[in-house]
Amino acid sequence: SCIIEERSFLRCEDLVYGRMSFKGFNPEIEKLMIQMNSKCKEEKIEEDDKMEADVSDEEMARRYETLVGTIGKKFLRKRDQRVLKDDDEDEDDEVEEGNSNARPSKRAKKMFLKPQD
Amino acid sequence: MAAERGMAAEALVGQVVLPGDLLLLPAHYDEDAEGERLRLSAGTAPQGRLLCGPGLRRSGAGLLVTKCGLLRHRPGGGGAYWVDSQQKRYVPVKGDHVIGIVTAKAGDVFRLDVGGSEPASLSYLAFEGATKRNRPNVQVGDLIYGQFVVANKDMEPEMVCIDSSGKSSGMGIIGQDGFLFKVSLGLIRKLLAPKCEIIQELSQLYPFEMVLGMNGRIWVKAKTVQQTLIVVNILEACEHMTAQQRKQALAKLSGN
Repeated sequence: SCIIEERSFLRCEDLVYGRMSFKGFNPEIEKLMIQMNSKCKEEKIEEDDKMEADVSDEEMARRYETLVGTIGKKFLRKRDQRVLKDDDEDEDDEVEEGNSNARPSKRAKKMFLKPQD
Repeated sequence: MAAERGMAAEALVGQVVLPGDLLLLPAHYDEDAEGERLRLSAGTAPQGRLLCGPGLRRSGAGLLVTKCGLLRHRPGGGGAYWVDSQQKRYVPVKGDHVIGIVTAKAGDVFRLDVGGSEPASLSYLAFEGATKRNRPNVQVGDLIYGQFVVANKDMEPEMVCIDSSGKSSGMGIIGQDGFLFKVSLGLIRKLLAPKCEIIQELSQLYPFEMVLGMNGRIWVKAKTVQQTLIVVNILEACEHMTAQQRKQALAKLSGN
């Protein structure tokens, strides 16, 4: 085992916190005294309380699902946006076709077209 | 030159030691220093490392005393030995909470007088909630309670008023009014001991507020000037009074 040299009295003795208030002169410091001295006795239990969420996890997941679609539309190129808008205006049956038409065209655009001899 | 044989450290706990005394530590520390033997039985060897506190220095087989005073020992946490000495002059030590007086503002940095050989520096960003635009309102002559973050003999000491998690936890500018005075370092440590009688007896007298700095400075504030001065006089005198005299003095005051 090693011997550690230490120049501070704080690590050797068990000293209380230097700021004190008595008989309610400064209520904030009295609260601090209790907090600091209980920290010394017990081991530090910091950050146990999680912030209470305003929105529950399930609702957050649901909203996020729909959110991804909405934000994704924002980054479509102009032609695709027009196609989507027409689809939205049409009835629901055609929406799927429109969508399916849009997607293969997207895929086709992305793939490298070999020159046809 | 006769080589002095050291005495066992445990025998001298609570007794006066002088500089130059050699304290021998129990055998298992030496064995571990020589060869790294694995201890299969967790019987006698204390776990953890020995803390060699202020006033002691490591030297070969044992500890060499460098200051005169009483030898103290703490058995918990691997054990610690230190010398309880008396002095008035403070030497900055890392981690100590001290009261400093602002002497100058140099651009972004304040110079504080902490009673050491050099003025300490304190950056304006080292306060809770301070940003480049939101500067703390510190004037020359203010009192500041902070802790040392750098304090060795080669560099200028630096202070901060926040702890490692970014909270101020009581540090920062000490408010208006009140009285600042200086006592010896030994008294401060006595007052900061858990369950100090002096503090308990004083707290029964009047409502007041007190800040103790490890550099020997105490700041007291009570409701009236007279009460403040009474507390100051008791604190200054209690170093040289016995417990009985102190209780008599306090009884007289509470009777008034």
